[in-house]
Amino acid sequence: MSNTIGNYPTPEASCQMRAEFTNLDVVVATRRDDEGEFLVRTLQRARARVRYVWPLPDRLPEDPDVVFCDLTPELPMRIPWVPGEPKAALAVIVGPGPIAELDLLINSAPDAVLHRPFTSSAVVVSLMLARSHFAYERRLRWRINKLDESLRLMRGVERAKEILMRTRQMCEGEAYRFMRQQAMSRRVSITTVARAIVDSHELLS
Amino acid sequence: MRAIPRRTSEPWRVGVLFSRSGCTSVIEETQLRGTLLAVEEINASGGIHGREVVPIVYDPASDPGLFASCAKRLMVENGVTTIFGCYTSSSRKAVIPVVERLNGLLWYPTPYEGFEFSPNVIYTGPAPNQNSVALCRFLMQHYGSRFYLIGSDYVYPRESNRVMRELVRDNSGSVVGETYLSLRAQHRDFLPVLCEVRRLQPDVIFSTVVGESTACLYQRYSDTGLDPRRMPIASLTTSEAEVMAMGADVGQGHITAAPYFESVRTPANSSFVACYRKRFGNDQPTNMCAEAAYFQVHLFAKALAEANSLETDILRSAVLGLEFDAPQGRVSVNETYGHADLWTRIGRVDSRGGFEVIEQSRAQVRADPYLIESGRAL
Repeated sequence: MSNTIGNYPTPEASCQMRAEFTNLDVVVATRRDDEGEFLVRTLQRARARVRYVWPLPDRLPEDPDVVFCDLTPELPMRIPWVPGEPKAALAVIVGPGPIAELDLLINSAPDAVLHRPFTSSAVVVSLMLARSHFAYERRLRWRINKLDESLRLMRGVERAKEILMRTRQMCEGEAYRFMRQQAMSRRVSITTVARAIVDSHELLS
Repeated sequence: MRAIPRRTSEPWRVGVLFSRSGCTSVIEETQLRGTLLAVEEINASGGIHGREVVPIVYDPASDPGLFASCAKRLMVENGVTTIFGCYTSSSRKAVIPVVERLNGLLWYPTPYEGFEFSPNVIYTGPAPNQNSVALCRFLMQHYGSRFYLIGSDYVYPRESNRVMRELVRDNSGSVVGETYLSLRAQHRDFLPVLCEVRRLQPDVIFSTVVGESTACLYQRYSDTGLDPRRMPIASLTTSEAEVMAMGADVGQGHITAAPYFESVRTPANSSFVACYRKRFGNDQPTNMCAEAAYFQVHLFAKALAEANSLETDILRSAVLGLEFDAPQGRVSVNETYGHADLWTRIGRVDSRGGFEVIEQSRAQVRADPYLIESGRAL
C-alpha cells in the first residue's frame, strides 16, 4: 500500500479539504480490490459520502457530484450525459502502467486523471482538480449563456430607446433616464421596462 | 508542428446526421441526398489524395436528444471529427456542446435565426440578413405593410419572427397577429388561425412553420379560399420539397426567400439538377437545403485537399476564406464568423411547383449573423 506518511496532506490542507468535501456525493466505479477499498477509505476520510458501484453498470449514475471511474473501452458510452454538458465532475482511473488508449481518455472528457496504484494525496488532488475544473467549465458556459442573453436584452433596450425618441421627441439621454426612473419606481429591471415599451408600442400601432 | 502525413489508402471517414423519420424527415432526406451525391462525385473523381470519403450515416429521427447521442457516438465510437448534419435549430443546439467539447466540426446546411457563433461549426445556410431583410423589403413594396406572423413552436420560428417583427416595425409596418403551433400540428389546428387571418385581413402572412405541418398550412389556406395574389404566405423555409408535398396547385403564387431555387441558371446548377434527378428520380426536385448540403461537402473536399488532415484545427483554418462555385453561384466562407456568404433570392411558386426567381442580389451577401452591419432601414 502506498499511503506513506510523506504523501499525507498537511494539517492545514486536510482542514480545508474537510470543509470542501463534507457530504460530497462521490460514485466510485473501479475494480473491487485492495486499491479500490483504499480509494473509498481515503475519500471517506476526506468526509465524502461514497457509493461503490462495481461491476461497472451500463449507465453510470448521473446525479452525484463526482464520479471516479476506470478507463474502459466503453466508458464514454456508459457516461450518462453528452460531452460538453456534463452533470457531474469526472475523474478517470488509469494504470498501473502507461495509458494505451489516449483517444479513449480524450473522448471521456474527464476533469481529472488518477493513476493506480493510488496514494492518498493523489486521490485528494484528483478530487480537488475534478471539482474545480468542472465548476470552472460550468461558470464559463453560464457566462456565455449570460452574454447571449445580454446581447438580446441590449437590443431590446436600444429599440425601446428609439421608440421613446421617435414618439415622445426625447433625446437619447432623456429616453434612457425615463426608462431608468420607471424601472426604479416599479422595482423592475430596465430590460423589463424596455420590453414593456416595445410590446405596448407594437400593440398600439 | 504539423505531422508529416503518412502514405495510406485508408478512407476519410465522416459523420452524417439527417433524419429519415419524424416530423422534419421530408426535407432532411433531401439534405442526406445532397450530401451523398457530393460524396459520390468526389469519390468518382478519385477521392482526396487518393483516399475515398466514407460517410457514416445515422438516423436521429427528428429528435434533438438523439442528435446529441448520435453525434457523441460518431465522435467517440466511430472516431469521426467532421459531421454534416442538422436541420432544426433545436438539433443544432443539441449537437454543438458535443462538437465543442470533443473539438469536432459540424457543417450545418440550413437557414437559421442568426445570433450564434461557434468555432466548431461551419454555417452554410442563410442567416437573417441573407434572407429576411430582402424578403421584408420585397413584401412591403409589393403587398403592403400589415404582417401576420405564424410559426412552429420552437427556437427558430420564434427568433426569426422576432427579427422579422423588428424589420417590419423599423420600416413603419405593423404586426397584426402572431401565432405558434406545435411542430406536429395537423390540418384542423390551422383552421382557427386562418379564421383569424381572414378577420384581420393582413397584407402578408409571414410563415416560419416548418416540417410536415407546412403542407397543412398551405392546404388549409387554399381550402379557405384566400388569394395568394392579394395575401401571399411568405416563408424562409418552404422549398420545392414542401411544395411537392402540398401540391403545386396549393403552393402556386406563394413567396419564399432563399439563396437557391432549382430554377437558378448557373452551369453548376444544370449539372447539379441533372445528377440529382438521375440519382434520385426524375420527379425529385432539388431545393435550398439539399443544395447547401451538397456544396458544403464540396467545400469540405476542397479544404481537405489543402489540409490533408481531418484534425479540426487544421481543417477549419483551411475552410475559412475558401470559395466554391456552388449551384446558387460563387459562395465563400467568411473568416469572421465561419458563415457562408450567399446569394439572396426571392421566388414565387409557379404552376409546376417550381420557383420563378423574381428578384436576386447582384452578388453574394456577406453573412452578418448578429445583424451588426445590416441597416435597419430596408
